[in-house]
Amino acid sequence: MTSLPSAGSVGIWTRSVLRRQPLLPVLVTLLVILAAWYDGFATVANLRNIAVQASPLTIAAVGMTYVIMTSGIDLSVGSMLFLAAAVESSSALIDQPAIGVFLAIGATGLLMGLVNGLAVAMTGVPALIVTLATMQAFRGAGGHITGQQDISLPEGLRGIGTGSLLGVPTPILLAAVTALCGGLVFSRTRFGRYVQAVGSNHGAAVDAGLPVRTVLIGAYALAGVLAAVASLTQTARLGAVQPSIGQGFELTVITAVVLGGTSLFGGRGSIGGTVLGALVLTTVQTGLVFSGSSPYVFDIVRGGVLLVAVLAAGARWRVLARTVGLTSRRRPANAGRADTAGSA
Amino acid sequence: MKSVGISRYAVAVVAASLVLAGCSSTKSSSTSPGSSAASGGSAAAHGKKLTIGVSFDLLNSIRSAEKNAIQSAADAAGYTVVFDVADQDPQKQASQIQDLIQAKKVDAVIAIAQDGQQISSSISLAKAHDVPFLTIDRAVADQQSVSFQITGDPKADGAAVAAEFINAAKTTPLKVLELVGGLTDQNAIGRRDGFNAALVGNPNVTIVSQVPTDWKPDQALDGTSNALQKDPGINAIYSPSDFLLPSVQSALTAANRLAPIGDAKHVFMVTIDGDPNGCKAMKAKTLDADIATPVADFGKQAIAAVTTATGGGKVDPQTVQAKGLTLNQANFATTSSQVWGCGS
Repeated sequence: MTSLPSAGSVGIWTRSVLRRQPLLPVLVTLLVILAAWYDGFATVANLRNIAVQASPLTIAAVGMTYVIMTSGIDLSVGSMLFLAAAVESSSALIDQPAIGVFLAIGATGLLMGLVNGLAVAMTGVPALIVTLATMQAFRGAGGHITGQQDISLPEGLRGIGTGSLLGVPTPILLAAVTALCGGLVFSRTRFGRYVQAVGSNHGAAVDAGLPVRTVLIGAYALAGVLAAVASLTQTARLGAVQPSIGQGFELTVITAVVLGGTSLFGGRGSIGGTVLGALVLTTVQTGLVFSGSSPYVFDIVRGGVLLVAVLAAGARWRVLARTVGLTSRRRPANAGRADTAGSA
Repeated sequence: MKSVGISRYAVAVVAASLVLAGCSSTKSSSTSPGSSAASGGSAAAHGKKLTIGVSFDLLNSIRSAEKNAIQSAADAAGYTVVFDVADQDPQKQASQIQDLIQAKKVDAVIAIAQDGQQISSSISLAKAHDVPFLTIDRAVADQQSVSFQITGDPKADGAAVAAEFINAAKTTPLKVLELVGGLTDQNAIGRRDGFNAALVGNPNVTIVSQVPTDWKPDQALDGTSNALQKDPGINAIYSPSDFLLPSVQSALTAANRLAPIGDAKHVFMVTIDGDPNGCKAMKAKTLDADIATPVADFGKQAIAAVTTATGGGKVDPQTVQAKGLTLNQANFATTSSQVWGCGS
């Protein structure tokens, strides 16, 4: 016979969750306020609508979390999304069975991620520069394949964005599986621990004999594969591949990751936080439409959310620095492990 | 260590090359034999074969039509065309135009500005080299310094859309979702303002939601989905470009609202551009009207102005705003042949 948890243990658990995911009360408060203010916001259909819209962002942001955890960055994620979509719409694939197309797109994502990962890991050139270059190259390649034209997708390729399983829309299922697997790999595998270690202190990771290059390549490859999966979801929802798909997507993805508490300096963060970041961004976007705000307000709010995310990240960093006894601006070598234990 | 240093240097060079390659990757030129690179002035008057540098902001469906219109008119006049695409990067466009004027020594430049303000430096450069500078499709800030400018008339097009709404609202009051393009794009602002101004005082047409899209298909999809959640009574949508039509249709499909005219679920829709998406939807009777941009006029009038300007004459009028052609279900059979998107 199991005993019921005491009020004290529930309180401790709640405090622990809130400490690890400070964005959770923000999301809940946002939902409660919007539900109270606007009729129709708290309906199942609208909440499902928000979750579906957040799905491609969540999928890509999980991959970006790994990259940023290594203290890297991937500016090419929007272009990877477009190139994967372009390959999907190419004459060689568009009429093939869906499973074959999905595998080909996954392989495309892996290849793009490997290009980024190998360039970053094998040369030491800053990820910002490498992925800035590949951002151009991937978008150019996508434009070459599509001829910059709109290409409609056949019904067979739209199911991944418009179908459902047991009443749950496919994009939500994909995002949930991605987040779950991403969280498990992050917290329960050697690779996940190595990612945190490399991001926390690259030099110490090298000195400790960790396979730093392999970890970096793995993180970027994962980001590439997940960008391709996000692409499949997004294009299936749109029903077409258009030349501007993915433009500016990298900023939204990075905002979701940073908003979720992952440090841009690497070493600390969580997949759960990233999922919450994506949900907050999408909820804000939906709330703006419900509010009937001027179109100009949308940009102001988007910029404001990014600013809040960065300020919050800075505040968390200062708290953490005080916790581990640092007074300088130098980031703590073991900050990641201190902050991320079990947080995925 | 040395090999790492060399490889780091090599990748930096490769990265830079990729960026540079991106700058020129979309460049193409016609191969008319015997093309002249005579510089500016009165080349036409001296009987030389002119070379026209064309710089586009991007290449999509409508831009391809505009490119073809320029090429056809140039071919008819016996001119050679050198074509560049800036991939929506104003700096890249400035570099390309500099290259056209100083290295390729074109006789005239026709541009679609990515940024109407930033292109002023390119206009000044052309003026300094006595090269006529013409702009099409998108107005520039420094209109006094261009030899000729032909654009659509976004306000008139917006008003033409409103006329279709007002006409339809005579039988059924309309609750309208208005999508807005890029908030820094004069075409988008003009199409919005023309539409809104024409509806003032009409009690049967109510704009219930204004959603910014930044000309991005994913934002149009999410924005439309959100607006339909907010107000299921929406029975009309204004999309300021056919480019956004697939996104709107996907959102309507997801909401089980995409239906042809005559069906009780039909949502009254009007768009602008007259591209193949619009024409296809007109044929399927899911779109009620499309205000078609007079793309062929852009090409013909621009090349005629090149002839005048390079001959030393002053182009009069210096600026032209060409109103769109209304294509609706009533005149589709007789008018669609004049719409650029219906011919491809």
